[in-house]
Amino acid sequence: MTAISLRSVVKQFGDVTAVDHLDLDLAEGELIAFLGPSGCGKTTTLRMIAGFEMPTAGQIWLGEEDVTWLSAEKRNCGMVFQNYALFPHLTVYRNIAFGLEMRRVPRNEIARRVRSVLEKVQLHGLEERYPRQLSGGQQQRTALARALVINPNVLLLDEPLANLDAKLREEMRFYIRTLQQEFGITTIYVTHDQSEALVLADRVAVMMGGMLQQIGTPEDLYRRPETAKVADFVGLVNLIPVRMKERCGAAIACESTLGPLEGRGPDGPGAEAEGWLSVRPENLHLSGTDGAAASGTDGTVNQMRGVVRERAYLGSLIDYRVEVGPALTLRIQGGAEAPYHAGDAVAVGFASADAWFVPSEEG
Amino acid sequence: MHRSIGSRVGRVAYGTLIVLLYAFLLLPIAIVVIASFNSGNYLRFPPQGFSLRWFRHFGETASFTRSFFFSLRLAAVVTVIATGIGTAAALYVTRTAKRYREFLRVLMIAPLPVPAIITGVALLIFFYAIHVGTHGAFGLVVGHTLICLPYVFLIVSTVLANFDRTLEEAARNLGAGPWTTFRRVTLPIIKGGVISGAVFAFITSYDEFSISLLLGGVGTTPLPIQLFDYLRFSFDPTAAVAGVISIVMAMLAVLVTERLVGLESLYYGRRS
Amino acid sequence: MATIRRGDGGLALPWARLSRAAATRRQKAFLLVLPAVALLLLFFILPYLYLLYISVMTQSHNAKYITRFTLANYAQTIGDLFIWRVIFHTLRLGVITTVIALVLSYPLAYHLARASSVMKGLLMMLVLTPLLVGVVIRTYSWMILLSDTGLINSLLTSWGVQPAHLMYNDTGVTIGLVHIYIPFMVLSLAGPLQGIDPDIERAARSLGAGAWQAFWRVTWPLSLPGVVSGSVLVFVLAISSYVIPSLLGGFTVITVPLLAIRTITELFNWPLGSALTIVFFALTVVIVWLFLRLMSRAMKGAA
Repeated sequence: MTAISLRSVVKQFGDVTAVDHLDLDLAEGELIAFLGPSGCGKTTTLRMIAGFEMPTAGQIWLGEEDVTWLSAEKRNCGMVFQNYALFPHLTVYRNIAFGLEMRRVPRNEIARRVRSVLEKVQLHGLEERYPRQLSGGQQQRTALARALVINPNVLLLDEPLANLDAKLREEMRFYIRTLQQEFGITTIYVTHDQSEALVLADRVAVMMGGMLQQIGTPEDLYRRPETAKVADFVGLVNLIPVRMKERCGAAIACESTLGPLEGRGPDGPGAEAEGWLSVRPENLHLSGTDGAAASGTDGTVNQMRGVVRERAYLGSLIDYRVEVGPALTLRIQGGAEAPYHAGDAVAVGFASADAWFVPSEEG
Repeated sequence: MHRSIGSRVGRVAYGTLIVLLYAFLLLPIAIVVIASFNSGNYLRFPPQGFSLRWFRHFGETASFTRSFFFSLRLAAVVTVIATGIGTAAALYVTRTAKRYREFLRVLMIAPLPVPAIITGVALLIFFYAIHVGTHGAFGLVVGHTLICLPYVFLIVSTVLANFDRTLEEAARNLGAGPWTTFRRVTLPIIKGGVISGAVFAFITSYDEFSISLLLGGVGTTPLPIQLFDYLRFSFDPTAAVAGVISIVMAMLAVLVTERLVGLESLYYGRRS
Repeated sequence: MATIRRGDGGLALPWARLSRAAATRRQKAFLLVLPAVALLLLFFILPYLYLLYISVMTQSHNAKYITRFTLANYAQTIGDLFIWRVIFHTLRLGVITTVIALVLSYPLAYHLARASSVMKGLLMMLVLTPLLVGVVIRTYSWMILLSDTGLINSLLTSWGVQPAHLMYNDTGVTIGLVHIYIPFMVLSLAGPLQGIDPDIERAARSLGAGAWQAFWRVTWPLSLPGVVSGSVLVFVLAISSYVIPSLLGGFTVITVPLLAIRTITELFNWPLGSALTIVFFALTVVIVWLFLRLMSRAMKGAA
């Protein structure tokens, strides 16, 4: 069943179009991450679903109900704000009880439900604290508890981890995921951090310039990006300009300035299509030029030669920048077992299964 | 070496200067307190001895006590009006106003930069012309409200400008309607500003002179005017008693604000 | 995407409803500001316009004024040498007061801005304390100190020094004015001074500037906005003061406010009093405007 449905939603602020004909359906219990750079319209979309902004055109449905014109307090969306928006004049208990009080829930029932949610977010014992007496992580969990206690139809999270330090952010990702699955609640998670989106979400919606670029599972996004922009935004990527020569099912053969290359591609673009082969840095393999010894990987059909220009030690791996052609430098991350240095001539190879064809914008 | 001696001399001189300046600033306040408890007709050094005779004299002089209580009542009425309409105006101007926002802002604080004495003259002539406010306290209430309104407006506007509006969105999101949101979230959080504005308005009205000089009448003479008239002809320390009352009241006001705002910071969890 | 439309379907309808709802909400919200606007228009703007109107009406002996347009009041104000002397005297008092208040307030404000946050609260209280006692009482206190038989002169006499005339002249008025308006000046200066990062001064020192040079070349130019706003405020307040010139000046020092009030409330010459008030008001605006222009040019030059 569809829990949230956006139907060609448009939002304009004056002359600026923040959201441009957005269509999106969320299944019950699904967690979707809205991923995109700041100003891409993801927060505006979230605010329209919550009822803080009215769309310029289009419709928003929650379950069976058209809520496009419904005011925020009648939508039953739980929301966690980026700065948490905890009421500074109320204790943790009163903050969490607020939504239940608005729903005229009997007092002992409120006490029971607040206690139970506090247990779930591991905040018991802090009921009488004020928000300023809490650590960042505790504030974050209070905000989560306040949103969850009202049994909302959907949970909206607006960059909920942006104000936490790196270590805590990592922990909270898994915690939020666990909590969401425990409550089985349909959730939209807005973030500009691609690793957060990949870890957390069932599906990721990449937005840019107010438009939906691609929606799919994290693996879809990472391995089969539909546009160069998406490929570039999600993780590190090498884009090799190519022209498709022929295709056979998903397998394609291309020509490039580096010679013939093989890869995989989406349905649609046929021979003569212009575009790029996208290859992730960890899928490129380095070997010495002296022999075939180092390039023992099966299926490494694409081979080229290059010169190491830069090398950065990252602990578990080494980050190389290898010049393979005029104005083309590849980023390669490999294990520390193959220690090449700047100036070394090297061979670069990658398997055709690891190269994905991305058509250029015009095509 | 030379430089460090020089800088030490400089620091001592700077410190002395600061102390002297504070002494200059606070000297008249000290003089008022000493004079009110001094038994002599004039304050001399050393003081002639401790006495409460000037307090008794102040209490027994009907014109003073009448003016004192009139000033208190006037300040109370003005505070209520100025705080009410000033807060409401600040809410509208900082949140809803669009096209006329700057105009309204300037209008609200306009009575502040223009000399109060000229405002008083203009009001006096105007009231005579339209035959209202020439009797009773109406003119004084209007004039004082004009002077106090900008302070309330400015203080509450500042608090509202710093107000995080996602708090209101959070309340709406949790199911509170607009009015409930204002009552349960907005008002408790801006309360500190409203109270400070009210205290400021009260003190401003209680000490107001220029407007009162022109619009005060028989039976409606605020205390500063009564003192002013008294001081033109006599010089005894009865006026100092009014000063001490002022100081005590100001201290009470500070305490009250501290308590209320202090309670609030307890709310906010600054103190635990 | 399926285009199922339930409820009232089309887009135009809810839009009209929404914009109408928003309009009534805005109208209702306007009620918030209405009382304040009404008060200010009726009892602030209108009286000032009326003052302007009276100033071009004809003077009369047996009525407040005669409804006949004339510029005679302005001619009389501008042509009267006595009035010009009073105006000049008032402006001079204002300038002297402002300069002295600035010189005395600057160290106080600087010290305040650089104090620890606990001390800052305490010092701020000390600066504001005089404001909590009415202007009449503070003036009375200066009368106790400055009169011919007052504290200062009795001390001087006991040391065998010739007593000085400190009151009922410009000296007394200036001392009173300076004292009353120092808190305003300190408050105006403290903000900008607090905004100057102490590291900027330290940077100047590290580049070889002496303490005095660091102040003069870095701190002072950066604090100019506070100096300007404080000076304008104190100047305007000082020239419109009534209590201090009348009590500490004892009616030997005549300023424009004293003259205007006397013309209106004692001589009942409304047209002349109004014209005098407006001429003085206009003059003040021009002076402040010139000062602001001059300072903004100076600040641009410094930047």
